[in-house]
Amino acid sequence: MSYEFRFLEDVALADIAFEAEGDSIEDLFQGATRALLETMADPQTVGASWNRRIVKMDAALDDLLVEWLSEIVYWKDAAGVVFHEAPLSLTHHNGQWKIEASLIGAPVDHTLQTLRNDVKGITRHLYKVGQNGPLWKATVVVDV
Amino acid sequence: MQLNTGMKVNRITDEVWEIPTSEKSGMLVPARIYGTPGILQSMDQGVFDQVTNVACLPGIQRYALCMPDGHWGYGFPIGGVAAFDVREGVISPGGVGYDVNCGMRLIRTDLTLAEVAPRLPRLMDELFRRVPAGVGAGGSVKLSRSDLNAVMVQGARWCVEQGYGWHRDLERSEEGGCIRVTDPSTVSDQAIGRGISQLGTLGSGNHYLEVQVVSNDRIFDPATAAALGITGQDQIVVMVHCGSRGFGHQVATDYLKVFAKAMRRYGISVNDQQLACAPFRSQEGQDYYAAMNCAANMAFANRQVITHHVREAFTAVFGPSAEELGMELVYDVAHNIAKIERYPEGELLVHRKGATRAFGPGSMELTPEFRETGQPVICGGSMETGSYLLVGTDRAVEETFGSTMHGSGRTMSRAQAKKQVRGEQLQQQMKQHGILVKAVSMSGLAEEAGFAYKNISDVVETVEGAGITKRVAELRPIGNIKG
Repeated sequence: MSYEFRFLEDVALADIAFEAEGDSIEDLFQGATRALLETMADPQTVGASWNRRIVKMDAALDDLLVEWLSEIVYWKDAAGVVFHEAPLSLTHHNGQWKIEASLIGAPVDHTLQTLRNDVKGITRHLYKVGQNGPLWKATVVVDV
Repeated sequence: MQLNTGMKVNRITDEVWEIPTSEKSGMLVPARIYGTPGILQSMDQGVFDQVTNVACLPGIQRYALCMPDGHWGYGFPIGGVAAFDVREGVISPGGVGYDVNCGMRLIRTDLTLAEVAPRLPRLMDELFRRVPAGVGAGGSVKLSRSDLNAVMVQGARWCVEQGYGWHRDLERSEEGGCIRVTDPSTVSDQAIGRGISQLGTLGSGNHYLEVQVVSNDRIFDPATAAALGITGQDQIVVMVHCGSRGFGHQVATDYLKVFAKAMRRYGISVNDQQLACAPFRSQEGQDYYAAMNCAANMAFANRQVITHHVREAFTAVFGPSAEELGMELVYDVAHNIAKIERYPEGELLVHRKGATRAFGPGSMELTPEFRETGQPVICGGSMETGSYLLVGTDRAVEETFGSTMHGSGRTMSRAQAKKQVRGEQLQQQMKQHGILVKAVSMSGLAEEAGFAYKNISDVVETVEGAGITKRVAELRPIGNIKG
């Protein structure tokens, strides 16, 4: 069980693009989630005083990933927090994909945390989710 | 000329280039790009692909346009302008952008560089303290849900009535700082959740608050400059660049989803998912228009509250009141918006995404004080190179649906820029060049380095050469706050 992600240099001129991959779909979601958290702040500098349980379902896997990442962006603004981690599990039942996750982080504090980009939205520009050999891959462009 | 496209690009003038409808299946009108040969060659492939995709949208009139600061965006290119018939055409969030009514505001002062320079570090500290910036920063104005509803409907007017500014600020704002066609019921709870605590905040990315100086030798049109309150002689001015924050971002996110489904129902197909659109007269189109205007009003209000805090900071540092310091608003103008305007074709819905309205003298849409000068156009450059105050022209109204550039436009990705310089290093370099920078995020600062942008003077010369805007003054940065 493992995932990787990397930020893409030549995809989004004014914004940020990343590619995530994993051994399983769940790993892929973890990789994409980590890339998004890293886009906003260095998770190692963020505490764990705030948490929120999130459950989301969708028949389409690619739609679910956008919905989940958009939920993270929502809580960043709505609760004024950045994130330390977001452990998650993914299941498929009766034609529906279901993500159950915990968003864990702390209120924004630029004196304590290494803050990066204020993400506006998860776009569908050049958005791809799919299997490449044994790996699941996603390309995501975020508007900052 | 080597361009980043295989499409045929015909020269119309030295600053205007046209891609004919034969170059892409489905183009309803030609695409026109403004730029010198050098600017055109530096444009990425996305500009050519995206502006020709826009030319395929139902109801588009005359041309799909891209300004010389254009670059790759989502759906529309940044710098994109397109006008649609209000009866037959569409509305598209991709033609407005995620940051609804991202825009510019310029505040003049009677202070000079000689008076400000000794206290600049303290001024920057005060501004940094009073104007929250960066990821997730909350504002000082605590809004209830009903307050936010009032902001959605009244925009900057609500702020002025609460004491955040002066009534004459509204006369110097596009639409008086308040767009009238709004309906808060079209805005999601998520948008309200994201925006309710963010009034008066700067955000991050390319948003900034900048203290600038106007020297005599950088005033190009003294009469117009004087009419706008720009006197030169090392005069200090303040520029604000920000938008509707999480509120507008969520409105865009919500309606891109709504429109993706609506397009199937209306039988509309587009070349790019981010061009999702709906007929303007459809329920979905009208709902987005109302919600977008709520977000636009949130942005006007955001910049109004920031103006109030800027005035407070100057008073705290220099003593006299903001009125005594002559801190009048020069203008507030949007560069991410869709608006109904009247042209020879009739009523059109003009989308401007990274493009500024630029109405010429005599336009009845302008308040009387701008009917001789033309509408002020505020263009932000990179934080290292400076910015411009321009005015609109009648030719812009004739040729570009009253539109012009909005900034310098990126030429390098954020990831590439960060590889070339570290934020701390850039901050030191800028200090050596006489620009004090305070930033929440050092990596964000590196991403905004001057070398990642086109030379704004080249872009300005293009729009002046094309006759769609006139230069008034160049504004040189001495202090910058970034998120």
